[in-house]
Amino acid sequence: MAQVSVRKVVKAYDGDVQAVRGIDLEIADHEFVVLVGPSGCGKSTTLRMIAGLEEISAGEIWIGGDIVNDMPPRDRDIAMVFQNYALYPHMSVFDNMAFGLKLRKLPKLDIKTRVDEAARILDIVPLLERKPKALSGGQRQRVAMGRAIVRNPKVFLFDEPLSNLDAKLRVQMRTEIKKVHQTVRTTTVYVTHDQVEAMTLADRVVVMNHGRIEQVGPPQELYHHPKTRFVAGFIGSPAMNFFSARVVGPSGAPAVQLADGQVLPIPPARQDRYAAQRDREVVFGLRPEHLTEPREQGRSSIAPLRITVDVVEPMGMETLVHFFLGGEAVCARVDPQTPAAPNAPLTLAADMNHMHLIEPSSGNVL
Amino acid sequence: MGTTLSAGTRAVAKPARRRNYARQYWPFIVPAGVVVFAVILFPWLFTLFMSVHDWHIGGDRTFIGLHNYGRMLADERFGWAVLRTLYFTALSVVLPMVLGVAAAVVFHRNFPGRGLARTLFIMPMMATPVAIALVWTMMFHPQLGVLNYLLTSMGLPPSAWVYESGTVIPTLVMVETWQWTPLVMLIVLGGLASLPTDPYEAAVLDGANLWQIFRHVTLPLVWPFIMVAAVIRGIDALKAFDTIFVISNGGPGTASETLNILLYLQAFSFYDMGYASAIVVVFFILILLVTMLLLHFRQRDALS
Repeated sequence: MAQVSVRKVVKAYDGDVQAVRGIDLEIADHEFVVLVGPSGCGKSTTLRMIAGLEEISAGEIWIGGDIVNDMPPRDRDIAMVFQNYALYPHMSVFDNMAFGLKLRKLPKLDIKTRVDEAARILDIVPLLERKPKALSGGQRQRVAMGRAIVRNPKVFLFDEPLSNLDAKLRVQMRTEIKKVHQTVRTTTVYVTHDQVEAMTLADRVVVMNHGRIEQVGPPQELYHHPKTRFVAGFIGSPAMNFFSARVVGPSGAPAVQLADGQVLPIPPARQDRYAAQRDREVVFGLRPEHLTEPREQGRSSIAPLRITVDVVEPMGMETLVHFFLGGEAVCARVDPQTPAAPNAPLTLAADMNHMHLIEPSSGNVL
Repeated sequence: MGTTLSAGTRAVAKPARRRNYARQYWPFIVPAGVVVFAVILFPWLFTLFMSVHDWHIGGDRTFIGLHNYGRMLADERFGWAVLRTLYFTALSVVLPMVLGVAAAVVFHRNFPGRGLARTLFIMPMMATPVAIALVWTMMFHPQLGVLNYLLTSMGLPPSAWVYESGTVIPTLVMVETWQWTPLVMLIVLGGLASLPTDPYEAAVLDGANLWQIFRHVTLPLVWPFIMVAAVIRGIDALKAFDTIFVISNGGPGTASETLNILLYLQAFSFYDMGYASAIVVVFFILILLVTMLLLHFRQRDALS
């Protein structure tokens, strides 16, 4: 168990292509940190640098008080779970899990105890004698996790471990991973491109983009208080809606004017915060879940928004309504009872307490 | 209704048409059939036929049943030839295998000049066996050969190479190894290139050093390819003829007389076609047994 420090770390290929552009990250002991971002954002590269599978071009990585820049992977005392499982195809499940321990010359009895314990935690005891090719994807991933657990390493690294599983199994394994972490409490760095995985698993989420860290924080904080337009759009599903808008109105009653001319009043609680934006072009952000069927019209934070429905997607517990506003595609989550039909007019309720204003040039949330 | 009817008739008509085609196709396999009969089946049957006859070229042919086979059992020269063949084969399988696998591991790594080095390395394989055998013969010459010059210039005693019964087979194996290590290397290199990379990363993180990675990951994964190379090498070594014939011609004395050389002498020096044919039949069975043994190992590994 250990804390991990990533300090001003850069990964450059062939001198000028930078996959990671100087990131700082402090990961506490026992913490579960998820690196999330789109393809090519540098999250896997960062993980592989922590593992020692990639060299660090600049900066420092510390694991448990030791600088590990020049330490070979085998001395770092870390265990990694790969996207493709990376099991040894010619070894049984038991041998796959025991391999690292055998190399460390642990007594046979010790190895057996540890492997059995891990197999019990992961519910793979009946599979111990099988070869990887006789296992399903989910079972293989459990074995890969078992191999990491038996080592009792300082840090667990997960590189998109659920990407090769089908949707249902992914949800199930996600829960398993969380449960395993609650049991063994090993410091964990987990890489995924799936923001739902990031939100559900992490103590803290690190959102990366273009080789930089956009924001670090607990899942709820990222959801409610994104710092940049990228984070606002990346976290949450369906993604946050963005509208070109302008802040208008007298100082006592400012409002957001959308591209089609509709005006949504800014609630009193937010008026001071957005005072400086008067008469300026902004990006107005509102999540689909805060754009709902009309209700509580009397509350001051609810603003009506008149639209013409384009597509209706019934999801069961809710219905997604897609429409265009000022040329931009927008999504709203409404009650299934709402009478929404294609090409028909509909008045939605925008919950302005959850609005975001974003500076168009910098992408920073105001 | 109309569509179902037509679909039904089509379903009935189809197999009939296929059968008609099958009847028309047979001329297409005739050329291949003729070739197979002429160059594989007929020689085989004729060899079997000859092996049960006392037949010297130019002489009369008399049926003698299994006498030729019985003669082999009593023929000490034949027994030694079998043992020599196995000795030669064992050495010229094992040595190219070990060196070839080692070379494949080296060439699998990226290093400057790898392409050129690899090309140079496989050149022996591309040379004509008889031509290189002649070159080696010159190098083996005890007084004029370059090999003894090299040995003595390093302060080592000269060797008699192929001119002494004790060293002739190891020396011939050396030529065989020089020529066929590249083939093993190519097969194993192909195998290495097809291996997944992530078990290696997992092994590195599991704490394996280079030797342990080779021993516990590379070798088991590439084993099927090694066995393929071993089967090919085994068959090739058993039937080695050209280099032995040119370099030592079975000598000195009979010290390098393998089955191939023996049956060549019987057939084309002593003109005893019947006995030579019987040796061929036994030799064939020997090759079959060795091959089956190797394939058995391969199969067993593949299953486990």
